[in-house]
Amino acid sequence: MLKGADIVLQCLRAEGVDLVFGYPGGAIMPLYDALDGSGVRHILTRHEQGAVFAAEGYARVTGKVGVAMATSGPGATNLVTGIADAKMDSVPLVCITGQARSALIGTDAFQETDVFGVTLSLTKWSRLVRTLDEIPAVIAEGFYWARSGRPGPVVIDIPTDMLKAKKEFSGPVKFTPHARPADAKAEGGFTDTIVALLRQSSKPVALIGAGAKISGAIPELRRLLDLLNVPTFATVHGLGAVPQQAPYYLGMVGMHGTRAANMALHETDLLLVFGARLDDRVTGDPTRFAPHAKIVHFEIDPSQLDRVRPCNLPVIGNLADTIPAFDAELRRHSLPDFPEWRAVACGPERAELDPRGLAQPTIRFLDELFGRLPEDSVILADVGQHQMWSAQRYHSDSPRGFITSGGLGAMGFALPAAVGVQLAKPNTCVLCVSGDGGFQMNIQELATVHRLGLPIKMVIIDNKYLGMVRQWQQLFYERNYAETDLSDNPDFVNIAQAYKIHSFRMKEDVMREFPVSQETGDQIDRFLHSPDPELLVFDCAPEANVFPMVPAGAALSEMLLEEEPTQ
Amino acid sequence: MRILNAASRRGLDLHYVNAEAAEHDHQATLVLEVNQKQVGQLFREWYAIADVIHVASGAAQTVPWSSPHPPSGVTMEEARATARA
Repeated sequence: MLKGADIVLQCLRAEGVDLVFGYPGGAIMPLYDALDGSGVRHILTRHEQGAVFAAEGYARVTGKVGVAMATSGPGATNLVTGIADAKMDSVPLVCITGQARSALIGTDAFQETDVFGVTLSLTKWSRLVRTLDEIPAVIAEGFYWARSGRPGPVVIDIPTDMLKAKKEFSGPVKFTPHARPADAKAEGGFTDTIVALLRQSSKPVALIGAGAKISGAIPELRRLLDLLNVPTFATVHGLGAVPQQAPYYLGMVGMHGTRAANMALHETDLLLVFGARLDDRVTGDPTRFAPHAKIVHFEIDPSQLDRVRPCNLPVIGNLADTIPAFDAELRRHSLPDFPEWRAVACGPERAELDPRGLAQPTIRFLDELFGRLPEDSVILADVGQHQMWSAQRYHSDSPRGFITSGGLGAMGFALPAAVGVQLAKPNTCVLCVSGDGGFQMNIQELATVHRLGLPIKMVIIDNKYLGMVRQWQQLFYERNYAETDLSDNPDFVNIAQAYKIHSFRMKEDVMREFPVSQETGDQIDRFLHSPDPELLVFDCAPEANVFPMVPAGAALSEMLLEEEPTQ
Repeated sequence: MRILNAASRRGLDLHYVNAEAAEHDHQATLVLEVNQKQVGQLFREWYAIADVIHVASGAAQTVPWSSPHPPSGVTMEEARATARA
């Protein structure tokens, strides 16, 4: 006879779980009581949101399912932002929540919330466990859905009495889904159609999104792109999928994408999309998105197709299957070349960044940081201006080397996610870049970093504003900086030291020298190569802005390259 | 339950619910107030729900669905015209 809690842990082990992130409380206590000796290591964060973001970080960098645990009521509701984040960014995540005991459900019992209901629209799949017998099947099904197809978050809510009760346990089970009539793979012959479209085209481009990375088909994708040899760009989650040095690669596309990428996307007559959902940050005004283009969309999730514009040819299926099939078929054809189009789209006159950007000290600072990172480092960016600067300056070829909350844009993501990344990759340099606003949203996780001795390199780009909101206020709300002033920020250096983490401040003036002084370079090197956690607070000009920028509702061709002169 | 999310996120009105016994279960009929485009959108989201096994429609005007690509509810020509307007 085993307790339900022991059964849960054995089922987790059977799913390959050896690390979970969480925070204990009343209803989940039986599961915590069973942890010792279970083979599952638990990481105590200092807030449930820290736990779910840490589990996401672990999942994003490994591709495995991340697991977070929390108690009922507030513990579970504190997971919600992370669950929504995982849904938006297709992160495999399983959240296990304790629930009030079965007899009390629906009575407004202490710490009872309808977690199933609260998370229904944010999860890929979820279940309130109703009997002890169904625990193994529910866990097996939950993990199946979390990792299968387009990955996503799963919530398993277990009443506390189920965790305490005992039953005979014959071992974990496997889940086999029902076949769905419409689950066929991509229809054959799509390569012939694409070749025909390429022959009609004079300005083809390729857009790479997260799906390409999640599929794991990066080597195959790179071979295919070399063969196609058309101007190529990536979404924020597609960064790292394409080698930076590829002559056809134009960088990031979208609201803060490069001028070259946005112009090519606006001008193209044939858009090949590989695993991107074409959200508004990529398309700009959807009615003027790629106005001349026919669209071929490689996508695993049919519900993502045709949302902005109908695609001319959907290629549905896992990119791990469709890309190699496309590549193999394509090599049997004589393909057109597009030297004139490449010369325009990839030419020097469409420079990667506006000239003022390179003169900006914060961008220079990020260049110094990123340029001195060991190979295969992982950069996490929080949400805001520093996130877009980091994405613009990211130049690694590591497909899982840039991690950020892209779809949901959840401030406070980066620090706890870095905990998950560092635990998954103990020998990798993990650099966490945050703003002064976002860092304070999960600042308590400095305690987790310290307790575990994780050598995370934390950077705060401190402009004493909620910078991205302030930028919009400056550009679109006549400089009405309503409630974005953080000039009374705490002393982050002292705070880190209170958590026993070494910390120091760097003035932006040191980045006005080019190249930077030996002393500054050494300081950055020491920071990056320290065996301990470190926090670097970089003073950023309060009104530094992110450019290029496509204003909300504008077409990609209408990007702002620098500030309008003030009247 | 997730089927209703596709309706709730679009603020669709649900004016009518009827549940009646069907062997060991109950069959519920929901009547949603939708336009043609929303029919397509609901189709796609329902199809994408992990444990929904089958999605079908009795709506005569719905684009026929015979491939793994659920209909969008608007024709390609209509959407192109809208996009280029």
